[in-house]
Amino acid sequence: MFGSKVTALSFLFLLLLGFSNCESQTETTMHTNNWAVLVCTSRFWFNYRHMANTLSLYRTVKRLGIPDERIILMLADDMACNARNKYPAQVFNNENHKLNLYGDNVEVDYRGYEVTVENFFRVLTGRHENAVPRSKRLLSDEGSHILLYMTGHGGDEFLKFQDSEELQSHDLADAVKQMKEKRRFKELLIMVDTCQAATLFSQLQSPGALAIGSSMKGENSYSHHLDSDVGVSVVDRFTFYTLAFFEKLNMYDNASLTSLFGSYNPSMLMSTAYYRTDLYQRRLEEVPVTNFFGSVMETIHTDSAYRVLSRKESGSVEIKMSTEKSDHDKERLLLNSNDLDQIGELNTEDQRGNIECIWSTFHKELQKVKDVDSFVNYGLVIMLPLLTVSMWLSW
Amino acid sequence: MGESESENEAPKVKLRPIVRLGMFLISHSHLLSVVCCTAGVLTLLLLPLLAKNTYISENALMPGSANPMLSSQEVSEANGLVKDLTSLDLKRMASGIESQRLIAQYMSNLGAEVSFQKFYPQSNQFHPLHFFSSPDSATIRENISCSSYGLNTVGIIRAPRGDGKEAIVLVTPYNSEKIGLGEALSLGIAYSVFSLLTRVTWLAKDIIWVVADSKYGEYAAVDAWLRDYYIPVFSGLGIQNAEMCHGLEENTIRERNMRDGFKRAGTMAAALVIKVADRSEQFEDSLSIYAEASNGQMPNLDLINIVNYLAVHRQGLRIKVEKMWSLLNCKWLKILGEILESLGHLAKNLNPQWKFGIPAADYVEGTATLTSSLYYQALGIPTGPHGAFRDYQVDAVTLEISSRVSSNNKGRQNDFLLRGGRLIEGVIRSVNNLLEKFHQSFFLYLLTSPTSLYAHANNLDPSFEKNESNHPASAADELGITLRSWKWLYAAKKVLVVHLWGAVVLLLPYFICQIPNCTPTTSFVVWVLLSIFSLLILFWILGSPFSYVYASQPQQREWALLKSVTISAAFIGLCLMSVINFATAEIGALLMVPMCLMAHPLKLDVKSRKLRNFSRVACNLALGFIGFPPTAFLVFKGVFEGFDGISVGDFWNWLESIWAWSSATYLYIGMIHLPCWILCIHVILHPC
Repeated sequence: MFGSKVTALSFLFLLLLGFSNCESQTETTMHTNNWAVLVCTSRFWFNYRHMANTLSLYRTVKRLGIPDERIILMLADDMACNARNKYPAQVFNNENHKLNLYGDNVEVDYRGYEVTVENFFRVLTGRHENAVPRSKRLLSDEGSHILLYMTGHGGDEFLKFQDSEELQSHDLADAVKQMKEKRRFKELLIMVDTCQAATLFSQLQSPGALAIGSSMKGENSYSHHLDSDVGVSVVDRFTFYTLAFFEKLNMYDNASLTSLFGSYNPSMLMSTAYYRTDLYQRRLEEVPVTNFFGSVMETIHTDSAYRVLSRKESGSVEIKMSTEKSDHDKERLLLNSNDLDQIGELNTEDQRGNIECIWSTFHKELQKVKDVDSFVNYGLVIMLPLLTVSMWLSW
Repeated sequence: MGESESENEAPKVKLRPIVRLGMFLISHSHLLSVVCCTAGVLTLLLLPLLAKNTYISENALMPGSANPMLSSQEVSEANGLVKDLTSLDLKRMASGIESQRLIAQYMSNLGAEVSFQKFYPQSNQFHPLHFFSSPDSATIRENISCSSYGLNTVGIIRAPRGDGKEAIVLVTPYNSEKIGLGEALSLGIAYSVFSLLTRVTWLAKDIIWVVADSKYGEYAAVDAWLRDYYIPVFSGLGIQNAEMCHGLEENTIRERNMRDGFKRAGTMAAALVIKVADRSEQFEDSLSIYAEASNGQMPNLDLINIVNYLAVHRQGLRIKVEKMWSLLNCKWLKILGEILESLGHLAKNLNPQWKFGIPAADYVEGTATLTSSLYYQALGIPTGPHGAFRDYQVDAVTLEISSRVSSNNKGRQNDFLLRGGRLIEGVIRSVNNLLEKFHQSFFLYLLTSPTSLYAHANNLDPSFEKNESNHPASAADELGITLRSWKWLYAAKKVLVVHLWGAVVLLLPYFICQIPNCTPTTSFVVWVLLSIFSLLILFWILGSPFSYVYASQPQQREWALLKSVTISAAFIGLCLMSVINFATAEIGALLMVPMCLMAHPLKLDVKSRKLRNFSRVACNLALGFIGFPPTAFLVFKGVFEGFDGISVGDFWNWLESIWAWSSATYLYIGMIHLPCWILCIHVILHPC
């Protein structure tokens, strides 16, 4: 008899937990995957540096953990095999020539004249011809963090595509809005290295978009240095310092977006890096760069295989990374209580009715309790007598 | 004229503002003409101030961004060639062929494709039917003996990964009969670059090295090669003929391989003519750039800019652009420069944004360069072998490098070769980066210094436009009411006859040339006499309508009509000429516009006996004197070069050179300037 009681109890307990788990998944989208769209919008030999920029960033995001199938790389791709290239089939972003960016594993999705404004929009909004293979599509969902990197020649509210078309700021804003409507991203980081890059973001309206550009309106973005062996400039300043920041990082580092944005020194850049955060809900100090540039997501540590802890109820979750490879056991603390809940609120109010409002007020109440763990434990202890009473009654 | 027509209808309807403006301008046409003319001349004087700094507008060029790869190894190879060539010259064992074979040997050792191209000299004789077209080479070949041909040696490097559609041309003219040290050095420079380019991996365009045999002139050799390059001859006759009288009979099979057929590469992106001056500079190595092609066409400015940038900032050469040296010592120019400088300071004090003052010395120098640039463009004669390329729309310049000391010193010579070679390498690498043609740059410009220019492409020279704009105004004024009565038709006929006479005058030199043993002076005198004679004949034949005119209308109107039609003709002529050769039109306008506007019958002026009229008489006489082409030429020559030793024969020689090069300036002088001058003189001497 006691045995049956215990099974029934545990069943009920599981049911309860299951319910709460299901609830949390549906109403706030978790960050579940990372995508990167890297675009080099220029062609011709003298724009070598733009291709080098894009390839360097491609290499960085791959190194930080975004797999190739989740990177859409758009390149004119006319440098490596250009007859003017002194080093055939190699592309460098530094005059020391230590690192060949055009190594074995470069998967270019859109190449040459395929890099057009139209294709760029199709990738972003997901409106493809039927024949387009999955590898050329951005198959993101509402849990995706997307990094959109663009480099090329631009001006006030436009970016040139291969000297034949231009992308205007309202086009970009429109595409992002469509993506938002179609729930193609959770958060979007737009990074642009071009002259007057800041002007490209002026029309953005969609929440969840974070934008950073290499220069303000009226400023030029300059190249970093000239490789006098190859005879062209090989990297732009903004990208160079971005890369310098990431070179110090590995997948497990916890540097925040603030530290990235703070690393841009206007005197080194010869322009003012501009970032637009008003559409972004989280605080930048609390967002690790790997949320965009890597594939590091919030994982929830559970003690056993099936015991799932409600994220709502955890004030702070300790996340342990798999540390077989790295000798230093890095523990990372993701402070996510306040902000995440605010997002939760936003989402729920947007999408669902009043029930969720009640839930959130209840949730707010929960928040006031300081020691959550003990509260949960006490709650469980209290439930035990309740259960026994109910079982006794039904008996 | 349209304006005057609307003037007639004016009283009936309410006038539109444009018509009223037109009437206002017409009623003040004298004042307007004077203002416009002075404004034009002033603008011309202000051009050095208005000149802009040049910049390289084509992004793809990126001059100097790559380190030069030319090393002492290539230079020592080139030194070998120079030594071999000079020793050949000392021995004088075999003229011509030996040196070409040596060069071909050197080329093929580098792995280049070598071919020879044979050509025959063309006489620079004036032929009226061939003025606009180059004479057919086949017809000339017939009566030339085998011994007198030139032999160009052409080496081609194929770009290893290029598509073979484009090429860059290097030209080194040299006289195969007597190789000077300068020519040997220029071959050395080209060879060092050539040998480097056979090894580099970054070539996107083929390289063609033409060693032009300048036995019959540099231009002729390059022109002959270009003609064969662009106009292929498909009959085997020419080749057979060439084989028959070949000097190198003992050739090996390998050399035969070199020679079979004419080798081509892609379309030419740019051409560089390399020369080394035999004279030596006093202070430092310097580089002269010659760019003017026929009819004042200039190569794309970017090409000059690259050369200038690389020479100054990379190789430390001093750039020299042709100047009118005598202008440098001009007192009034200096004073003008100082006035402008102080004006500039004043303007700067008023508003720091206004920066147009330049130092007086710069101004004088700018003017000297500008004058020379204007003159050489107006002449319409190419200043070097690069002119041949321009006829095929290929941008080309001649680079003449002169070294500081005569290069007997071995170390000096190495250094000289290295610098020259690196300059050429840099330019080639820059052009190699080019993706298409040179584009989005200036092509109509006057240089005021190596680093600044005055482009009339974007500013279309206000002076000239203003000068022009006043013609119809004054013409319309004098036409006035008579327009409707078709009386102006007689004047127009007269003008037409005089212009026809101009064409006849143009053709006369062809016949005068046929007279054997003629000194320039006598030919000139004969020409003048024949011209006057033909004028008289024309008047005798076609002159009858004029008597009718005299009878039918009051004479004081006749000269006014004639003047207005003359002005219209001059306007049309200058407009046409400004399209063909802007510099000619500019200089021509400077001489002709005041003359045409001032023309007034002497008789009337003398009758009225006022100071104003006398001054007009003086002006008319002076302008009439200076407006006559021979006197204008001699006066300017005297001013710039001193009056001693000047004879009228110089003008003949000058004209001969102009027609030999088929310059449009020749046509301009005969068909527009001279008739207008005659008509002006006619107006001045009019018996009214």
